[in-house]
Amino acid sequence: MSGGKLGKTRIWLFLIDNLETWPGPKFSSGFSCLVSSQGYPWGLGESHFQSDLDGRLLLSEGQYLPLIEVHKPAILPGKLIHKLCDRVASSTLLEDRRDAVRALKSLSKKYRLEVGIQAMDHLIHVLQTDRSDSEIIGYALDTLYNIISNDLEEEEQDDSEEENSQKQTEDLESQFTEIFIKQQENVTLLLTYLEEFDFHVRRPGVKLLTALLKQQGPQVQQVILVSPMGVSRLMDLLADSREVIRNDGVLLLQQLTKSNAAIQKIVAFENAFERLLDIITEEGNSDGGIVVEDCLLLLQNLLKNNNSNQNFFKEGSYIQRMKPWFEVGDDNAGWSAQKVTNLHLMLQLVRVLVSPTNPPGAASSCQKAMFHCGLLQQLCTILMATGVPADILTETINTVSEVIRGCQMNQDYFASVNAPSNPPRPAIVVLLMSMVNERQPFVLRCAVLYCFQCFLYKNQKGQGEIVSTLLPSTIDATGNSVSAGQLLCGGLFSTDSFSNWCAAVALAHALQENAPLKEQLLRVQLATSLGNPPVSLLQQCTNILSQGDKIDRRGSKVQTRVGLLILLCTWLSNCPIAVTHFLHNSANVPFLTGQIAENLGVEERVVQGLCALLLGISIYYNDNSLENYRKEKLKQLIEKRIGKENFIEKLGFISKHELYSRAAQKPQPNFSNPDDMMFDHEFTKLVKELEGVLTKAIYKTTEEDKKEEEVKKTLEQHDNIVTHYKSVIRVQDQELEDLKKQVESLKVQNEQLQARVTQQVSQIQQHKDQYNLLKVQLGKDNQHHSSGNDVVQMNGVQSEEISKLREEAEEWKHKLEQLEEQLREKDSLIEVLKSSPPAVGTSEGSSQTKTGLEVESELHREAETLRAQIHLQTTEIALLQTEKQELLQQMSAAPAPVPGDRGTETADLEGRFTALLQETKELKNEIVGLAEERTSLKQQLDSANSTAAILRTEKSALQQEIAESKKEQDDLLVLLADQDQKIVALKNKLKELGEPVEDEEDTESGDQGEEDEEDGKGERED
Amino acid sequence: MDVEVTQDYQCVGKSCLLLQFTDKRFQPVHDLTIGVEFGARMITIEGKQIKLQIWDTAGQESFRSITRSYYRGAAGALLVYDITRRDTFNHLTTWLEDARQHSNSNMVIMLIGNKSDLESRREVKKEEGEAFAQEHGLIFMETSAKTASNVEEAFIDTAKEIFQKIQEGVFDINNEANGIKIGPQHAATNATLAGNQGGQQAGGGCC
Repeated sequence: MSGGKLGKTRIWLFLIDNLETWPGPKFSSGFSCLVSSQGYPWGLGESHFQSDLDGRLLLSEGQYLPLIEVHKPAILPGKLIHKLCDRVASSTLLEDRRDAVRALKSLSKKYRLEVGIQAMDHLIHVLQTDRSDSEIIGYALDTLYNIISNDLEEEEQDDSEEENSQKQTEDLESQFTEIFIKQQENVTLLLTYLEEFDFHVRRPGVKLLTALLKQQGPQVQQVILVSPMGVSRLMDLLADSREVIRNDGVLLLQQLTKSNAAIQKIVAFENAFERLLDIITEEGNSDGGIVVEDCLLLLQNLLKNNNSNQNFFKEGSYIQRMKPWFEVGDDNAGWSAQKVTNLHLMLQLVRVLVSPTNPPGAASSCQKAMFHCGLLQQLCTILMATGVPADILTETINTVSEVIRGCQMNQDYFASVNAPSNPPRPAIVVLLMSMVNERQPFVLRCAVLYCFQCFLYKNQKGQGEIVSTLLPSTIDATGNSVSAGQLLCGGLFSTDSFSNWCAAVALAHALQENAPLKEQLLRVQLATSLGNPPVSLLQQCTNILSQGDKIDRRGSKVQTRVGLLILLCTWLSNCPIAVTHFLHNSANVPFLTGQIAENLGVEERVVQGLCALLLGISIYYNDNSLENYRKEKLKQLIEKRIGKENFIEKLGFISKHELYSRAAQKPQPNFSNPDDMMFDHEFTKLVKELEGVLTKAIYKTTEEDKKEEEVKKTLEQHDNIVTHYKSVIRVQDQELEDLKKQVESLKVQNEQLQARVTQQVSQIQQHKDQYNLLKVQLGKDNQHHSSGNDVVQMNGVQSEEISKLREEAEEWKHKLEQLEEQLREKDSLIEVLKSSPPAVGTSEGSSQTKTGLEVESELHREAETLRAQIHLQTTEIALLQTEKQELLQQMSAAPAPVPGDRGTETADLEGRFTALLQETKELKNEIVGLAEERTSLKQQLDSANSTAAILRTEKSALQQEIAESKKEQDDLLVLLADQDQKIVALKNKLKELGEPVEDEEDTESGDQGEEDEEDGKGERED
Repeated sequence: MDVEVTQDYQCVGKSCLLLQFTDKRFQPVHDLTIGVEFGARMITIEGKQIKLQIWDTAGQESFRSITRSYYRGAAGALLVYDITRRDTFNHLTTWLEDARQHSNSNMVIMLIGNKSDLESRREVKKEEGEAFAQEHGLIFMETSAKTASNVEEAFIDTAKEIFQKIQEGVFDINNEANGIKIGPQHAATNATLAGNQGGQQAGGGCC
């Protein structure tokens, strides 16, 4: 660049697809960067740049990038950068490449353009090939970040050129970003580096991606969205244990989620809410630092205008976790700026969930959740706390407004909140006091108005309560406490125009869509100065309206009148009685027509429009009860005094007003200047509704009106007929339903009865069967009776036999007794034996066991005899049994017991016989029992014998051991004696030799020797 | 417990199924789903309160890369086709492969043949659906979002299957990536109360 005289050089960057079609000068290779000086499009310095750039900017698609201005001195390090780039590209040693990239990094802050142009491709190449070396990757990512990011301080900038250069650098960044992301693989590559755990790779990677997103958000978002698990992987950054990376991750996600609903949903799906809320809690909620702020901003990104995510947030029970955010202590002095920011964002986040622009169902379920978890209560505490900064207080009021809006439960709660003053005052009253107090900040007063509006929105109960504070019957006669109604009236008639407006609009909201209250409010009388009769509220409003200009006020004069007109329009619409009251004051209609007809300035146009609206309402909702102001008459008046066209045009002034459309956008009054407060959101709805209807009504002729009325009447008649039929049908329906039910129940009854009938039929059948059976049986029984006589003889024989048997049984009994005695003897013997075996166990000698053995053998013998006896007895019993069996058989051969007198004898005999049988059976059982006892005794004996034998063997073994040990002892004694002798001999020898010998040593060594010997012997024995 | 109503083609009635399940109503004309939409409902299985979080994904091919992101964290999926359109049935294999590839291997997949009320226009026999389900180890059901037939069952049976897997220990409930979360019982207005309930998970976790 030799042209020093030029001072500045312009560089034009062209992206050339095909050099042949290029209209500019021809170049040698794939050169795509041109340098020109001012005025000379393709002039000086071409060659210089050609060599510097070396055709390396491989840009395609014939795209043209806007111009860049650079300073001449900046060109100079170009050569150095060129060399470094060469080294990066050609050096085979990793160390060399690494050094070169590091050098590029250090140059990149100061010479962003040069490094960017020349090194970009090399750096990307490094990212592709040197993956294994985290150091060089880190430098490369850092360098790319420096090139692309714009948060570097611009040095060496002249003040005059600052603004200019700022714009250029922004261009530069977005251009480099575009070059980088042109190849989608570059972004994908960068994403893989974010998975690298190394701090020096991950951190610059995160920062670079954040910078790319900042520059070219939509494109980068698309690339990330289509790369598999792209978003999910970025979410892992929040789980990084290194706080720096986690925090940078939050910033990255902030950029990533900007206005892209698909990404927002995926991030939410990946559990972002849980993690972010955890971080906020960890950092200490609102007391936390900027990290909390970042998290809150990210949460806002995820939730704002994203119904799906809002639903997920609510269903995931995350609203409950917001409650602790607002637990501020009593001491609210000296909040840090960060805390104020955090709380502000927290409040905004609550508002995002309950915004009036959300789908109605979604917002209301969030509102309910906020009440149930105590969030609303917490917010109300802040509302009534002292020392809270004004802007936080304002935002809290706005937040409370939206949390209660249209939700009866929350509105009821809000109505019950009291300020901690003495005596306690309702929060609503305290807030209204601020609204009509001109010393309070404007935004705060707006917030209170919004809060009041939200409190009354779809809340007939609340509206009633507010209006009732104005009614004569309920006004607190003592006047101790200020009521909401009194405050509103005070505001309505104060000298501050903004207070007038706010109070009028607030009162209008108390009447919104509530016809009964509109009538109620007509009863309100105001006491003016002493001596004068009281004036109705409606009258007072119209009075002020007509004398508006005469009273000296603070603020805009139009504002007061607009406010009052809004109130009157709302009041009169859909309320014929109020219209009649209004028209009753003969001054009102002339005032309105006068206002509309006059040709006033631009400022007054709104008033004219509103006057037209009010007049229109008085016509449309007129029930013709006042003769002078019937519909036709008023219309004629308009035609004469104003003209229909003119009237409609004036009416149109309202909706054409610039502030009208702003108010129509959303419910919150949001104007920067008190004078801009002209329209109210709800009122704009009313205007929209009435505009068309009124226009039609004005254009209609009287005849049409009459016709219409007729039509209306016939319609009404029709309606009446229809309703009549409807009711008839309803009654019939009811009857039908009842009858159906009756039929149903009858059916059921019928079924039940039928079932019972079949049951009974079957029962009868059963009874019949039984009867038949009995009949048959009876016949048989009669036969039996006749054959019964033959049996008697047989029974006579039997009785003899039975007496024999009895004797036999007697004998057996005797024998049994003998046996029992014998058994008893044996038992005693066994007793003796039982006592002896333990003696055997403990005794040392063997003689006692011998006696034991003797007893045993005796027992054996006795048992033997017993067994023989038993055997005998059993055979006898068997004999008896057979005999008995025979008898039984004989008996069974005899016919069944015969009823009658004769039967008793046989029965008696049978009874005895069975008794005998029983006895024999018992005897048998006893025998069996005895045999069992015997066997058990035998077992005991056996066991006693075996223990005796064991003891015997043990004893002999012990004796043997004792003998052995005695022998050992003897041996040892002998050995000891020998040793002693030897020691004595040795001692003597030593003494002879003149060595002094101590006795202790002697004994010790002797002992040791003994021990050794013993050990040795032990070993041998083993 | 995360469940995903997924796929197959557009207009088979995924969004209608979800609406019928969460709101118990049918909307004949439904906007095309853009990306994904979220829905939730509490159900009771074996006396335990379970919150089903359901992501309704777009069937359009162009949203495929977006919907893929939702497989990883889901415990179950409902694969839906339209019994009156054979092409939707023919596409099942592709979607199934996609789901299997990107999801947790334990993910419970239920095959749904929707629009069973349109018997006269049926193109896919019930047996075919059953055969496909058997071949790929899926649970099968025919539903109608319009008449609400089997809709409840489709979601609850899927949830039961997942619940059973949890009890068998197949799902690691401490791993969020499985789409299951044991939570403290919600709607606890008192902080200490919430803590208590969080401690005793047997008291009824909501997934």
